[in-house]
Parts: sequence; structure tokens; C-alpha cells
Amino acid sequence: MRYDFVVVGSGCAGLAAACELKQAGKKVLLIEQHNLPGGCASSFVRGRFEFDPSLHELCTIGSVENPGITRKQLEAYGVNINWQKVPDCFRIVSEYSDGSLMDVTMPSGKEAFIAKMAEYVPDSKKATEDMFELFAEISAGLEYTSQGDENLNGKVLMEKFPNLLKIGSYPCMPVFKKLGFSQKAIDILSTYWSYLGVDMDHLSFLHYSQMVESYVELSAYIPEHTSHEISVAMVEAFRNMGGECLFNCRATEFIFDNKKCVGVKTTAGDIECDCVLANINPDIIYAKMMPEHAVPEREKRLSAARKGRYGARMFTAHFGLNKTAEELGIKDYSIFMPSTADSSKEYESLKKIATNNYTIFLCYNIVNPNFSPEGTSVVSFTTTYTSPEDWNKVTQENYFNVKDEIAKKFVGLLKEKTGIDIKDAIEEVAIASPMTFSRYLGVPEGSAYGFETRDWDGIIARTMGMEFDYTINGLIPIGTSGIRGDGYSSNYACGQLLARYALNKQGGNK
Amino acid sequence: MALKIKMSKIGILDVIKFATLHKTREKIIAKHPANPIKADYPINNLAKTLHPDAQDLVIDEIIEHIGADAKTYILKSADNKPCAYFRAGQYLSVLMTIGDSLVTRPYSISSSPKWALEGKYAITVRNNPEGFAAKFIIDEWEKGDHVTVSAPEGTFYYDALRDNEEIVAIAGGSGITPFLSMAYAIRDGIENFNLTIIFGSKTEEAILFKSELDKISAECNKVKVIHVLSDEKKEGYEHGLITVDLIKKYAPYNSSIFICGSESMYNFVMPEVEKIGLDKKYVRCELLGVTKNVTSCKGYPENIPATFNIKVKQGFEEYNITANSDEPVLVALERAGINAPSRCRSGECGFCRSKLLSGEVFCPEENEYRRFADIQYGYIHPCAAFAISDLELEVPGSYLG
Repeated sequence: MRYDFVVVGSGCAGLAAACELKQAGKKVLLIEQHNLPGGCASSFVRGRFEFDPSLHELCTIGSVENPGITRKQLEAYGVNINWQKVPDCFRIVSEYSDGSLMDVTMPSGKEAFIAKMAEYVPDSKKATEDMFELFAEISAGLEYTSQGDENLNGKVLMEKFPNLLKIGSYPCMPVFKKLGFSQKAIDILSTYWSYLGVDMDHLSFLHYSQMVESYVELSAYIPEHTSHEISVAMVEAFRNMGGECLFNCRATEFIFDNKKCVGVKTTAGDIECDCVLANINPDIIYAKMMPEHAVPEREKRLSAARKGRYGARMFTAHFGLNKTAEELGIKDYSIFMPSTADSSKEYESLKKIATNNYTIFLCYNIVNPNFSPEGTSVVSFTTTYTSPEDWNKVTQENYFNVKDEIAKKFVGLLKEKTGIDIKDAIEEVAIASPMTFSRYLGVPEGSAYGFETRDWDGIIARTMGMEFDYTINGLIPIGTSGIRGDGYSSNYACGQLLARYALNKQGGNK
Repeated sequence: MALKIKMSKIGILDVIKFATLHKTREKIIAKHPANPIKADYPINNLAKTLHPDAQDLVIDEIIEHIGADAKTYILKSADNKPCAYFRAGQYLSVLMTIGDSLVTRPYSISSSPKWALEGKYAITVRNNPEGFAAKFIIDEWEKGDHVTVSAPEGTFYYDALRDNEEIVAIAGGSGITPFLSMAYAIRDGIENFNLTIIFGSKTEEAILFKSELDKISAECNKVKVIHVLSDEKKEGYEHGLITVDLIKKYAPYNSSIFICGSESMYNFVMPEVEKIGLDKKYVRCELLGVTKNVTSCKGYPENIPATFNIKVKQGFEEYNITANSDEPVLVALERAGINAPSRCRSGECGFCRSKLLSGEVFCPEENEYRRFADIQYGYIHPCAAFAISDLELEVPGSYLG
């Protein structure tokens, strides 16, 4: 069996890469170790409910009139999804850094966002306006730089995008301060940190700006029928273009001829190809799936430098409720409930099971009243762990109890913080721990975010250093560990970008 | 441009710092040692232990239940390591080669979860002379044989977040097995709820696990057992069928009801349970498989021929097989010796999910657990789908066997 490209793993990056390569007319095989595509972007059924295991919302869809990059990308593959708009940006119920109570709901739309900020923090109007101006400059500047090296003109950059160049190497916190935000305003603006898994002292402001600008300007969207709908539609598009896929087919090892990857050993037999795009964490590829002699020294050093700082070990609890959102008094799609808005403090709390009291609560029926059968609703709780230490100690024997206790704690915290009591309405429940995510995704420690996009290893540095990465001939790791970091849209973009990179390289080799 | 941000005192230094972010990154990387990469994670290891692709077990002991015409098989892990732990009430999918067929059957684990940690499970199989797999097991399985099973599966277990802590279990015949496991789990301090088992058998002699159940309820006041004999009147036993009055007599106020038994028991008991007027969330049934009489299902089309051809694609292999229209598509795959994935055989778990490339199937409503987008894009669960035309089907691989 011989292919131009084999894509291993049908996570968001794998699906995008497969579609992109197929669109370029290549002979492509997509293999997936489960009988479902999507990785995190999937669904599961319990009783009369269908649950989304991971998607909160996508900020790069945009409206039909003003489409975002992901809507455009998927449509280019022939993927059509019935996107549903999320009404607000978020509600956060927490404590400000000074310990006072915080209950803030932020709308989408730039003007509305600025006005609401000014309402909550009266002296923040100018700084918020400046921040959006800065966001716009950053977007324009990054778009200009992404046009390719030959056209890049340092002088133009200096003239047109001076602020981008000056703040480009900084994390969020000092930039917020330079913009003149008070701590209270910073607390509100920090809400999104947990999406990226790195606190405001260590997260690149550029990374932050790309996400938040998109959220506010384009609004957030979710698919009508869970993220499985996106994944299965992408598989369909890939098939329609002539792509082949194998499910329940596990890649066990990459085949090397000296230092060049020439194929994949799988549970369905050996497959030869010119190039593999592997939607797998590179640490696992290097340690378990290829001969040690072929692992480049630089990749070993990179792994050592990252010190196993995997991002966001996931924990989710899903509930099918026998009451409607209205009956339960649920009004918001998402409620962020960190114990404090201070992201550095909260990052520390998220290391331990006992101290992690941060949950994000979602009610899908707020966006889509038909998400579940009449008279019911579906809600979920999500948190992440910033260290594996407590989970490393869990045993077979106490595993179920540990999971249940955490879910119980979050149900209690929801009641305590918002008055919403779902306890007596629970008809179905499914709890996913880092073990569950590790089982389904094969990721280290159940981390769905790859490596933390922290300090020197942020996505801007990774993207600028692309020429140094991808040192193995014929094997390209794709996915959350890559140049775009975590998140659905980041990974659709990552798969696309690296598929194009692989096509260029292959073209160059011939 | 209105906005002018100044980070450090000398702006150009910031610009240089930004322009060389990637070089700085490379410098940091270069400073670290080039040791071999290790990817050994306790979290991933535990996930593998809890959810192995397959478990290789050896039949260690066979216990005959003469009056009940059943046998219990004690299965020990072949490598003497712990088996995958489970929640009392879960099942194992057992893989068997019977003649040319490769088939699976789900069997509830009847032992305590504690046993799994000691490297063993018990499953109980009731003889069914007309049954394909049950007859094979009863006749063929011998001490020392190896048996391949899945990881523990299923959601028929007590969940403190969801269920009332008073559970009334209604069991018929070999449907006692998940409840026996729950009773052991309560006795062993693994689970904490009150279990009242209303257990229907034909005669006193036919009661499965009578002495075990008596022993547990004597040792542990959280477990109560009420025996109901349908074919015999005896002192100390309830007589007749499990009616709403009988359930109410023993069910504590505000109980969750769990039901496991044969199809005929469900047909009688379900309408009785409905009379109690409990909300859906308080009534949970163990899976029952699919109907043996599909032609009588609501919506089944008329004039369907007895057999169809199925073109099957699995991996890089292709097969042409024949399917009987009155059997689930999965059975046709198994009869052809194709190792297709399956677990619950009731449409629920979705493990057999396959892509229907062409043709039409009938999916009984009571087994419809497919994902919304799967229905939209033509995926079926072959264990709960019947061919009503020739089919072209793409089946995933299997890790079992």
C-alpha cells in the first residue's frame, strides 16, 4: 500500500491536514485509532442525550456576511455546518484580586464590550479603546508578515506597526499595565486565560490579542449537533474529494530508512508513503514510535527544555437534566467560576485536586433550545489541572471515587456561586478525567493543550521559528503541540499550515 | 497613528527582542541536554489498566448451578496481574470463535469489583439450547482454556450523583448477575447505597446464587433480597409475577428502580413499573439486545426478501457476504468470520459504528442511540440494523482477538 501522504490521527489538525492535502490532489490516507473521527471534537450518547466532550465555542466562525478564518477554511473543503451564535462573550463569577465579589457579564461586539467595561470599571474606557486599536494593529501586522519572507520589509513594519513590534515580546500583564488598566479591569480581561492554559504573567500578549479580538468582533459559535458534526462532516468532505480513511486502525511505529520516514506500521498492515503528518504529541512519537537514532538532537533538547510542561490536563463532567434551563434558572451559556480572577494565583491552585475550585459551566440549550429533547437540558463543567502530581497518585481502586467527588464539588460550587441547583434533575452523567482524555486522545497526562505556550515557547516564537522545527525528513508532528497551540480553530489552522508546508517541501524534494 | 505604546525606555530594544524571539528560543533549546526522550506517564498507564483493548483470561474454575441450568466461570488474568477494575453492574464483551464465526457476547460481571484487583472476574452463563453462544460456552468451555474479553463496559451501575440512594433491583433469572456484583460491592465497602433486590425465579430450586445472596444480606444490612417464585407456592417466598403492588410493598419511598432480566420479564415488568409513575431518571434498564422478530417492529417495510448481499470493506480487505434480513447486519458479518468490533449488541455503545456506503437498513426505534450527525451522514450501528436491500458497508477494524 503506497500513498503520497498518510495522516495519522483524525483530531482537528489531522482532519484539516487530510482535507488540505486531498485538495492539492495528492493520494492521502487518514488513519484513526478509534472508530470515531475528531479526537476531542466528538460526541457521545447516554440515554436520550448526546453530549459534546470538549467544545466550548469557536471564535473564528463569524457570520455568513463577515466570516472568520475557520468558517472560510471549512467551506473551502465543502464542509457546511449549521453554526449557532452564542449570545454573550461570557459571565464570570469570582473574586477580584482585592477579594471583592465579581459578577460580570461581557457582551460581544467591540462597542458593547467597551461600554460594558466602562460600566464595571469607570476609568477603563480609554484603555479598552486603546487595546482594541492595538488588537487591530497586531492583526494587520501579523497578516502582513504572514505574506512571506521575500515581501517582508522592515521599514514598512516599523512605520505601520510600531506598537506590534514594541509589545511583541511581552506577556499580557505588562502590556495591560502600559495601556493604563486598573487591576479591576485587568481581572475582567484575564477571564480568557484558562482557554490558553497559561496565566497572564507568562502568556504572550499577541497570542491573547488574536483570540480576544476574534471573540469580541466575530462572536462565538457552536455547531447545532455537537462537534462530532464538524468532524464527521470533514471526514465526508475528505471522502468526497477521494480521500481514504481507516478507523480503529492504530499506528504503532513509523518506518525509517536511515533518517527518512518512509511509512507507518499499523494494525491494518504496513503503509508506505512519502510523508507522514502525525497528529500526535512529539514526545510520544520520539520516545515510542520511531528508532532512537533517527530522533534529531535538537528535538531531544527541545523536549528537555519543555520539561514536560504539558498544558491543561482536562477534567469534564456532563449532565443530562430532566428539567429545562428556564426551570433551573439558567440564563447564561457560559459561566466562568475561578476562585480568583488573579490568573497567576489561580494557575497555582489548579495544580492540586483539593485546591482546584475553578470550573467553567456551560448550558448548551441557551444557544440551541433543541440541543436535547423537550423538557430537558444539557450542561457541563470543565476544569484543567496545571500539574499531574495528584492525578499521578490515583489508583484503579480509588479512581471512580476521585472522579465522582470532583464532579460533586463542582455541582455544589455552582449552587453556592449562582444559586443554580441541578442536583435533583440529573438523569444522565458522564465524567471524564485526565485518564479519559489520555485514553481517547493518547495525549500525555490527558493534556489537550500540547505544551504550555509559555514565555519562550509561545506561539509567536514557535511560528517565527518554523524553519528550525520539523527537522525529520518525511515526518511532521501536527496538532496542539505545534505552532498554533491549543483550541479547535488553532488546530484546523495548524493542520492547514503544516499540510501546505509539507506540500512545499515535497515539491522542493522532487 | 494615535496609539503609542512604550514598553522599555529604549523602544528599539523591544523591537529587537521581538524580531529575535525565535533565535532566543533556539538558544534556550540548545542549552538543554540531548538525552533520550521518555514518555512514561502514570496517568496514561492507569488509563491503559482501566481500559485495555482486550484482556487475556484463563478459566480457573467452573461452578455448576444445577437447578438454574447455568454455570459460573471464574476467569483469572493470564499474566496474574490485576484485571481492569469496574463499577458493579458493568459487563465484559466475550470474544468466541464458533465454527467459522467470530462472535462476541456481553456478560455482566457477577463478582465483586475487589476480585478484579486480585486478577479475576466471574461471569455466569445460563444454558440456552437454542442459543448460539450460550450453548457453545456451556458445552465447550473447560478449565484452563483461554478467553479473550473486552475491558469492563456499560453504564448500568449505581451513580450517587444521579440515582437515589435507595435502589430497588428487579431481577429475573440470570439477570441477577449485575445485582450480585452490586451486593458484593456494598458488602465490601466499595459502594454505599441500600439495595433491595426483588428476584423472580420459577421455583426455589431454580434460584441462582441463593446461598450467596442469603449470606450477603445476613452480613450486610444494606442488602435485602425478596424472592418471588412464579411456578411454585412456598412459605417464605412471594408468589406470582413482579407486579406494581409487590414492588410498592418492598420499595422504600423515593427509590431508583434498576431492571435486568429476559425480554419476557421486561414485557411484563415495565408496564407495572410505569404504574408507579416515577420520572424517567429513576428507572434504568440493563440492555436487552435487539428484537428477534424485526418484521413485527413498527415501521418495518413490507415484502422484504429473506437474504441480501453485503459488500464489506474492512481495512484493505473486501468481502462479499450474505445477510439474512431478519438478523442484525452484525450477525452476518460474524457468520462470515469477519472480526468486526462490537460490545453491547443493543445499539447503545456505538462501538460497531460503520459507514453505510450504499443500500438501506431498518433500525428499530428502541435501539436507536446513534449520534445525530451519524444518522445525517449515513453511519449505522450494525448490531441494531437490519438489511432491507443489498448493502455496501465500511467496517472499522477490531482490537479484540
